[in-house]
Parts: sequence; C-alpha cells; structure tokens
Amino acid sequence: MIPASPEGDALRVAQRGIWISAVALVALAGVFVLALAFTPVEARQGLAQKIFYLHVPAAWAALLAFSLVGIASVLYLWLKDPRLDRFAAASAEVGVVFSAVMLTTGPIWAKPIWGTWWTWDARLTLTLFVFFLFVGYLALRAAVHDAAERARFSAVVGILGMLLVPFVHLSVYLFRTLHPQPIVLKPSAPSLPPEMLTTLLVSTLVFTVLYVGLVTARYGLVLVDEAREAARDAA
Amino acid sequence: MPPETPQNGEYLVAAYVITAAILMGYWVRLWSRVKGVRGK
Repeated sequence: MIPASPEGDALRVAQRGIWISAVALVALAGVFVLALAFTPVEARQGLAQKIFYLHVPAAWAALLAFSLVGIASVLYLWLKDPRLDRFAAASAEVGVVFSAVMLTTGPIWAKPIWGTWWTWDARLTLTLFVFFLFVGYLALRAAVHDAAERARFSAVVGILGMLLVPFVHLSVYLFRTLHPQPIVLKPSAPSLPPEMLTTLLVSTLVFTVLYVGLVTARYGLVLVDEAREAARDAA
Repeated sequence: MPPETPQNGEYLVAAYVITAAILMGYWVRLWSRVKGVRGK
C-alpha cells in the first residue's frame, strides 16, 4: 500500500504507466504472431517486407511523440503550467526510443531490398536529424538545473523539432527519394491488401497504447523526483 | 511462398529481435526505477 503523499501520488501515476505499457508489450507479442504467422508474404520483397509492421508504427509513434512535445511546449510558453513541461520531457524521451526502433528497422529492411543499409536521401537524413535534435533536447534538459530556465529553453528546442515533423512526412513528395511513398496516410485510399492493412493498423494501435503507457510512467517518475526535491527543500 | 520470392528471413528476425530488445529494455529501465522508489 502506497501512503497518501505527493511522492505516493506520483508513484501511483508511474505504476499506472508501467501497467499500461506492460499490457501493450504483451499485445506487441501478439502483433509479432499476427505479422509472422497470419499475414501473407509479399511476393517481391519476401519475408523482409514484414519489417514494415514494426517500422511504420514505430515511425508513427516517434513523430506523434515529437509533435506532442512541440504542442505542449507552445502551450507551456503561453500558460507556464509545469505539467506541460513534464509531459514534453516524457514525450521527448519516449519519442527518442521509438526513433531508435525506426532508425534500426529501416536499414535492416533496406539492405535486402535496396542493397544498402543507408542512403543520404531526404527522408532518411531528415529523420536522423530529428532524432539528433531530440537527443540534444534531452541533453539540454540534463544540463540546465534551474527549472524555469530549463523549461523555457527546452520548449524552444521542442517547438523547432515539431516544425521538422511535417517535412519528414512530406519529404517523399518534396524531394527525389528512394524511400517508399505513404501507403496509408495519403489523400487517396490505402493501397494495401486487407490482411496487411489490418496487421498494420493493429500494430499502430498497440504502439500508440505503448506510447501512452511509457509517457505516463516517465511523467510519474519526473513527479517523484520533484516531490522528493520539494520535501528536501521543506526539511 | 512462390519460388522466385527472395529468401531474406534473417533480416526479419534481426528487426523483430532488435525492436523487442529496445522496447523491453526501456520498459525494464522504467520499471526498475519505479521499483527502486517503492523500495525506499
């Protein structure tokens, strides 16, 4: 039983996030089974095409995370509500984790399909740039100790990062690129067979729930640290 | 699978294992921090 206190309340938030993300990870194991055993093999790309069921949802979760960092940062600069800064910090860290999945599964797919692990085309380069920008965001947060300054500086970087997200999505239209065009998030209907589309949508849902769980846990842990600092200052 | 379909299952296995490792690794890191707070 967790005692009623600011630290206890924060711990309950973190535990809720741990439980939500644990359920999402079990569901992700189900997505693995769905993708590997119940989704047809694409004739031209072979089994490597199934990497798509992890790569695309990870990209979705990462770009969702970074977009929400930017929105929370704009609102923070306007409202100065510390909850928005905490949320932005949590979302940025989780976004970096999903970006790591996106940036490792992409080259593993590219090697057998393109014949190379990496190419410096617009989509890939911009994605790597956004990843480094948010790693820098986290480094900045760790380096600045004054809470108000940290929140203000990192909000500016978070907004700049968010502004790059539409360019990442539109880069396949704006530049000549090897990267495939969108097959779901595009003006016309999704161009995927129904079984493949179902697996992709289920995986995207699971990644979204995992994002919610991980951000909730991370937010709770930031709250725990703040409650401890407040208790130390009061003592 | 038609005979002309490329045989590249090892890339599939690598991607699925690495994804599981990254996501589980991060979850375990958060879980151990929550457990550490509870233990204090």
